[in-house]
Amino acid sequence: MAQEIDVSLVNVTKKFGDLVAVDNVSFDVPKGSFFSLLGPSGSGKTTILRMIAGFEVPTSGDIYIGGQRVNDVPPNKRPCNMVFQRLALFPMMNVLDNVMYGLRRRGGMSKKEMERLANDALARVGLAGLGKRRIHQLSGGQQQRVALARSLVLDPTVLLLDEPLASLDLKLRQAMKLELKRLQERLGTTFIYITHDQTVAIAMSDTIAVINKGRIEQIASPEELYRRPATHFVASFVGENNILTEGRLVRQVDDQVGEVEMGGILMQGRIGEPMKPGDKVDLFVRPEMILLQPGKHSPGILGKVSEINFDGSHSLIVVDLLESQRPLSINVKVQHTEQAPEVHVGDVVTLSWNWGAGNIFHHVPLQEA
Amino acid sequence: MLARLKRTGALWLLLLPMLLWIGLLFVLPHIKLFLLSFQDRYTGAFTLKNYATFFTSPLYRGVFIHTVEYSILTTLVTLAIAFPAAFVVTKVLSERAKALVVIAIILPYWVSELIQAFTWMVIFRETGILSYTLRALGITRHNIEFLYHNWTVMVGLVYTSLLFMVIPILNSLETLDDSLIEASYDLGGDFWSTMKEIIIPHSMPGIMVGSIMVFMLVLGNYVTVTLLGGKNSLWFTENIYNQFIVRFNQNQGAAFSVILLTFSVLFVWALLKITKQDLSEAM
Ligand SMILES: Nc1ncnc2c1ncn2[C@@H]1O[C@H](COP(=O)(O)OP(=O)(O)OP(=O)(O)O)[C@@H](O)[C@H]1O
Ligand SMILES: [Mg+2]
Repeated sequence: MAQEIDVSLVNVTKKFGDLVAVDNVSFDVPKGSFFSLLGPSGSGKTTILRMIAGFEVPTSGDIYIGGQRVNDVPPNKRPCNMVFQRLALFPMMNVLDNVMYGLRRRGGMSKKEMERLANDALARVGLAGLGKRRIHQLSGGQQQRVALARSLVLDPTVLLLDEPLASLDLKLRQAMKLELKRLQERLGTTFIYITHDQTVAIAMSDTIAVINKGRIEQIASPEELYRRPATHFVASFVGENNILTEGRLVRQVDDQVGEVEMGGILMQGRIGEPMKPGDKVDLFVRPEMILLQPGKHSPGILGKVSEINFDGSHSLIVVDLLESQRPLSINVKVQHTEQAPEVHVGDVVTLSWNWGAGNIFHHVPLQEA
Repeated sequence: MLARLKRTGALWLLLLPMLLWIGLLFVLPHIKLFLLSFQDRYTGAFTLKNYATFFTSPLYRGVFIHTVEYSILTTLVTLAIAFPAAFVVTKVLSERAKALVVIAIILPYWVSELIQAFTWMVIFRETGILSYTLRALGITRHNIEFLYHNWTVMVGLVYTSLLFMVIPILNSLETLDDSLIEASYDLGGDFWSTMKEIIIPHSMPGIMVGSIMVFMLVLGNYVTVTLLGGKNSLWFTENIYNQFIVRFNQNQGAAFSVILLTFSVLFVWALLKITKQDLSEAM
């Protein structure tokens, strides 16, 4: 069965003068999915969202919503609503009037009916009974919900969210994160969600598009993104990673696995992009996928524990490699379980990992990465 | 530091020059004016005669009502011109164009109101630029006197008032986050509903301040009104001038002044009450 597509961008480019803010971007957002745009500051996320909402016109390329080309449709006629980065609630109105605003513009409904719908929407986001409050009498998290209710009450085909959690403190952000996800699943509305925080994107999304300097680096599920990053940028941006730079590809074990020489030590990883032996490469290794054993073992990489950062359920252990020709260290994340080995600073340990824990890409100088 | 200043009362010292200024130049003369208005012109005895003159004379009352009507009208016309201009300046123009337009608005105020009025006279008088142009274009056959009409006076008054309306509205629009306008469109609003529901309510304090200032300035205007309106201007300030300067009747003039002042204060107060604006908030 072909999936129904709600939003589709085809070769969309946006230039501001000489600056190419969005560079030939294409993607499809399936109906009812939670789609995230993940990228660092200034990568063009907001610009993409504003083009979907209709506040910016693409320099070239086409945008489709529900199968219809909307390039020439003004924002007030598009079947999508936006939750703004700074919320943009109307301070001159109370909460209920804010939520009713879109219904009033649409018309064709009695005031009673509108109030009922608005109160329903408020109840849905957990703000029942706060309709008479002024906006400034609400906490940050409550304002957040009002902004959501104000858009949701219109039952949009697509809801666009521009980093709506960025202004909240950590705890509230965690809570809202889960709530948003649940809400989306319950309503079945298509969400396009912008964030520069990869933990948020990974926790909530069905699909993530990683964007860098206006270009899409990879579109994949969170798991895929995490396990098989497509580019050097994705590997360094998504999730925690050890990055060992300026090694050399020794050989390709098979079409997936490569062997890399780092400071005289041989290590394995997945080959992330086409390359040949002798190429200068960087190796990424997930800290939680490394096996740490006290003492000397073989095969394995010998190291000495130089630092232990205790973090409740985990410890982050920094290991300096003993046999490398240049100073190299690797972070290992160890979960505290019954069987977890106890190590101390100064202990000699052996590190090893399956090739799938590593990812090999061509070397990229630091300032360009 | 502020707390210490407050404790020692030193803060009052900072206010002193202004308090003196207001006290000596505003409060004292007005007390004197107030007392004068209740005195007989010849004996100096207490009397309500000066006020009775106003309330029994259809002429004075008529002039007063005319003045108030035209002041309100002028304020509304000024608002109608200033608001769209301020909106375009803050929300549409680029930074550069913005600066140019603001300078263009401020520039005329580098010359005094007197010179401004003379400029209008050069344009409007029988042998003036407007009359000449119309004749040269063949639209009229004779020279026309444009001066000394109510609408000429209004043109001059609107012109001298524009800045005082534009600046507060500019300020209030500056503080309006553009994303509020976008949010309104996003939720299905169009230009007019966004204007009515978002932009005007947000800039209401600026509109009030501007309107109050312009209304007061116009109500008490003398120079523009006499130069452009001549003897027919029917402006209440002219009656006050006549009593003081032409008829040497200080007491009658004082009564008229008190009436004008009292009225404008009450009017502004009522306006703020009706529109539910708080003066401290509006200012
Ligand atoms: N109206 C504009 N005029 C000129 N340049 C713009 C405009 N809007 C955005 N840009 C530029 O386009 C690039 C992308 O901006 P955008 O706001 O889309 O980034 P972003 O990914 O949302 O960043 P952030 O995470 O910081 O919000 C930036 O370099 C920005 O300076
Ligand atoms: Mg942004």
